[in-house]
Amino acid sequence: MSTVTAPGLADEVLGELRDVVGDEHLLVDKPARMHRARVPAPFPVHRWARHIPDVVVLPACTEEVAAVIEVANRFGVPVVPRCGGTGLTDGAVPLHHGILLDVKRLQYIGDIDLENRTCVVGAGVNMLKLNEALARHDLFYPDDPASYPCSLVGGRIGTSGWSLIGSRYGHTRDLVLSFLHVLPTGEVIRIGEGGGPRISKSSSGYQMKQLFMGHQGTLGVATEATLKLYPKPEAEFSPFWAFEEYDTGYRAVRALAQADVATFAGAVLFDEEKVRYLRRDDEAYIPQPENVRALVCSALYGNEDEVRAGAGRLMRIARSFGARYMGDEISQGDWAARHDRYATPLHGRTKAGQVVPMSWHCEDAAINWSALPAVREQWHRIVADLRSRSDVFDDWGMFSYTSARTGVDYLTEIDVGIWEQELDEETWAMWVDAKREIARVAVAHGGSISACHGSCREGEVDVVPEELGGAYEVMRKIKRTLDPANVMNPGKYGLDGAFEEDLA
Amino acid sequence: MSQFSYRRGEQVTPPPARQTSDVSVMRFDHIYEVDPRLMQRVPQQPFPNWDTLRIAHGREDHLAWMHRHFAHAVISGAEVLDGLSDE
Repeated sequence: MSTVTAPGLADEVLGELRDVVGDEHLLVDKPARMHRARVPAPFPVHRWARHIPDVVVLPACTEEVAAVIEVANRFGVPVVPRCGGTGLTDGAVPLHHGILLDVKRLQYIGDIDLENRTCVVGAGVNMLKLNEALARHDLFYPDDPASYPCSLVGGRIGTSGWSLIGSRYGHTRDLVLSFLHVLPTGEVIRIGEGGGPRISKSSSGYQMKQLFMGHQGTLGVATEATLKLYPKPEAEFSPFWAFEEYDTGYRAVRALAQADVATFAGAVLFDEEKVRYLRRDDEAYIPQPENVRALVCSALYGNEDEVRAGAGRLMRIARSFGARYMGDEISQGDWAARHDRYATPLHGRTKAGQVVPMSWHCEDAAINWSALPAVREQWHRIVADLRSRSDVFDDWGMFSYTSARTGVDYLTEIDVGIWEQELDEETWAMWVDAKREIARVAVAHGGSISACHGSCREGEVDVVPEELGGAYEVMRKIKRTLDPANVMNPGKYGLDGAFEEDLA
Repeated sequence: MSQFSYRRGEQVTPPPARQTSDVSVMRFDHIYEVDPRLMQRVPQQPFPNWDTLRIAHGREDHLAWMHRHFAHAVISGAEVLDGLSDE
């Protein structure tokens, strides 16, 4: 028996956890815990100690996950689930220390059902590695976040992920048919469409799949998923166009999205501030002439004859708006890089122009096309005010990305560089206030605080009750019902409040 | 003299930089670098020439791999445009 101990945890708890996962998969050393305290989004490094878990456990199967959660319930210890740790709303960041439940050992690829085009995977499987295995069958799982090479299926479920090519194939909620789920009290259930594991549409019973996706670990842990598969696309087309005015690009992106091209997988509008940022450091944009003030790109995937037909249609539409095609090298190179944004080394500028290391924060929202210009103007004003007060912040511009093929709404992001090493209580408070303001602008324009990342970080989380209204009260009741001991990721989404008062 | 001989002095002396914008320079074709005047707070580490080229080529390989990973073929926009000019 090992004699290791964990700060903040009773030896009895540690002993029971060790009995579940074994000595080798119970980690109490400081590096193992510190590395699982944060995610890539700018982090209050001056407060790192507040977020370090007491112990890390790495279970090997659903039964071990359930047993860990059962121990947590019995001793009232918080559990924070973690997959790739690439989420941008701090879902995997502990707020009350406790047990960090890392699911990376659930990395098996199980049954690949060629007849029905589905497969079963553990929550710790990465999409890139899965697609390497599926390629042997000429199949493809098209869930494509900007963290594609490093994020994991379980995290995509816990955050209800958004996919770059979701306008063609749907997002995580559409691609995951069902999953095994460990409830906050330790019971294991299957969540999906009705009871069948491989059903894409059922009308039997309450429709619970979306409830158990995107909860950021507050309602339990997905451990194994059944996924919908597509044929690997025969062809891809990814044009980038330059525009001399934001307004022309803005109208063009709508026309592209509304063209109803069957292979349309997405279109993106980059604004003038984004072009200015790219012109500093990106080899594709440094040589662009000054009259380039907006960019639009699109992507098509599917059978080659259909992609070629759609490509001609999109080119004609872009040309009708006076767009300049930026060439194959930029178009193909930039699109390929979008699957892997986490590999991009980042640096920002002080107001004097000096290079400094910065983390990338993309503050996102779901915004309807008609509201994009107003939101853009107000968001840039908020970030300009931040930058005027401190060199810690840098405006890296905005983009708007179709969430669906009709172009009804756009994942809209303002990218903000943050010089983490210089953060202190004053600048962190400035940032949190700005996040709150950014979220309020989205809600005031009929949008949602987040299309992609979630909305449980400091600042934005305060606006969630304003956004959801009566639905937020239902959230609180669901949390208290399913997690009566409040052990699953406590503190997230302000849900601790559900345990502090009588709910109506 | 073999063209493959290695001379350290050659490898740690990059070609002269030419200014490509207000904020960037170029020493090797198609490889941009931040203008060293802007790197006063973050000192640049010395890089052998072969390593700079290896990293740049590795990035190109990675992007080409990503295309092959996502689809069997990539449609050229230039070819599509050529087709439209015949209309």
